[in-house]
Amino acid sequence: MEFLNGVMQRHLRKAPFYIMLMLATAITLVPIIWVFASALKTNKEIRENPLALPSAWRFDNYLEAWFGASFDAYFFNSIFITVTSVAIVLFLSSLAAYAFAKMRFPGNQAIFFIFLFGMAFPLSAKLGPLLSLMYELNLANSRFGLILVYVAGSLPFAILMLRAFFQGFPQELEDSALLDGCSRFQFYMHILLPLSKPSLMALGIFVFMGTWNEFFQALLLINEDSKRTLPLGLTAFQDEYVTDFALSFAGINITAVPVIIVYIMFQRNLIEGITVGSIK
Amino acid sequence: MAQTLSAPAKRRSSPRYRLDLIPYFFILPAVIIYVIFNLGPVLASFVLSFFRWDLLTPTAEFIGFKHYDFILNDDRFWGALSHNFIFLGLAVVIPVAMGLFLAVFIYEIRLGRVFFRAALFLPAIFSGVVIAYVWKWIYHPFAGVLNPALETFGLGAFTQSWLGNPNIALYSTFIAYTWSSFGYSMVIFLAGLQDIPTDIFDAARVDGANFRQKLFRITIPYLYDVFTFVITLRIFTAMGVFGVIYILTGGGPFYSSDVIDIYVFRMIGNFEMGWATAAATVNTIIVVCLSTGFIKWREWRSWSS
Repeated sequence: MEFLNGVMQRHLRKAPFYIMLMLATAITLVPIIWVFASALKTNKEIRENPLALPSAWRFDNYLEAWFGASFDAYFFNSIFITVTSVAIVLFLSSLAAYAFAKMRFPGNQAIFFIFLFGMAFPLSAKLGPLLSLMYELNLANSRFGLILVYVAGSLPFAILMLRAFFQGFPQELEDSALLDGCSRFQFYMHILLPLSKPSLMALGIFVFMGTWNEFFQALLLINEDSKRTLPLGLTAFQDEYVTDFALSFAGINITAVPVIIVYIMFQRNLIEGITVGSIK
Repeated sequence: MAQTLSAPAKRRSSPRYRLDLIPYFFILPAVIIYVIFNLGPVLASFVLSFFRWDLLTPTAEFIGFKHYDFILNDDRFWGALSHNFIFLGLAVVIPVAMGLFLAVFIYEIRLGRVFFRAALFLPAIFSGVVIAYVWKWIYHPFAGVLNPALETFGLGAFTQSWLGNPNIALYSTFIAYTWSSFGYSMVIFLAGLQDIPTDIFDAARVDGANFRQKLFRITIPYLYDVFTFVITLRIFTAMGVFGVIYILTGGGPFYSSDVIDIYVFRMIGNFEMGWATAAATVNTIIVVCLSTGFIKWREWRSWSS
């Protein structure tokens, strides 16, 4: 009995923490649930009672948003641009980080510092000349051009993170592999990369989220409807359907759902990617 | 083992030493893309802020500090900058404190840790565009949820044109920003908390330390470096806030929620490249000084104490 009392007391002492956490959770979840519920309502329902739950599950708002606007194109653009950018970032940053972490060559420190330099600037510091450069190279209004800009933007953080990880890699493994006649590129491809999967995964998800959500540079560089990414397409869609409440809600959800799915699947990797920076 | 370790040094000192080119092949692709599409435009922005140029004419004429003269005498530039500073002042306190407390609460409980962490972090995964539209609907004058909710709870006097009132539009956008950023600070604090040796907390419990004592005597001092990181992150996001404000208010009404990045974007849109690059350069100098100054100050403080 006394033991049970102790358990009860200990749980009761935690009650204030639970209350605060539940309040905070309500702040984060209620708006999201509300936006999802509103997409199932009709315009009339939304106007008459914005707080009420939908009277029936209607998915025609989604169908209309998807087929009526160009969300299929936006979705494809976002997938293509994000996946390609992540793949290129992972490949180039791991190559460079291996050299910075494990090889001795003149300029190692200096060039690495130049990469670090890039993390200190706000985004707006490069926008004017970037726009002009992209027009000059015929890369404005192009998915490929946007990929290059995103890759260049992600490289500094990616190299910093992977370099720190590779530095902790056991030197004996590399020495014995190279002694056995393995070239450094073979070591990188067949030993280093496979053994770094968890780090590459965390970095990949982190870069995926940042690229998928990017808006500022896409807004600047893309102005053709067929080449818009989801965040950019959503703004065009909202401008067009500003009076059609239900459709607007459906559009927001179409943009939000893919990130929610990725988040649910890769929550651990994402949070690892975020927190690794704080340990350094 | 010793042989292999000394091998590079030996090669270096030998007279037949040749420059090893292979490392450069490893870094070259990354360097090329980074320099052309990131570092180059940053440096060009700085250089071109002293020239008269626009997107269409390639010839540039050196005009010294003329662009700076213009923007430093432009009330809208100072207005935008002051809004960034209001944002900054609030951002280094509110989301950071919320993140810290929520992390501590999650650390204290057993049941539901994973759920609370996931649910509280959720808004941080969305694009600023999605966050802005969610809040645009919350604030919406008649289809929104905030005004009817206030009326339901008998707070009808507080109903507002949240985005239309110049006195509060900036703060309305700040709430949307906070909504999406306290979870981000929280997961970083939580990771830091989990690195604190648990026997310190056990010892504190045995000694009868209460929640406040544990927070101020153990948690906060131990999280010194984590605080530095979290606040530095807030400096960058507050000085570079764009998407949320661009969509919620566009910087309005009457420029009351204008910020530097929207100012720069507007200048680029008007083909005023000189003013845009000058404003961006001033902003860059401020951000670099603020962030490195803050980090140095934190390092100095931890050494001197």
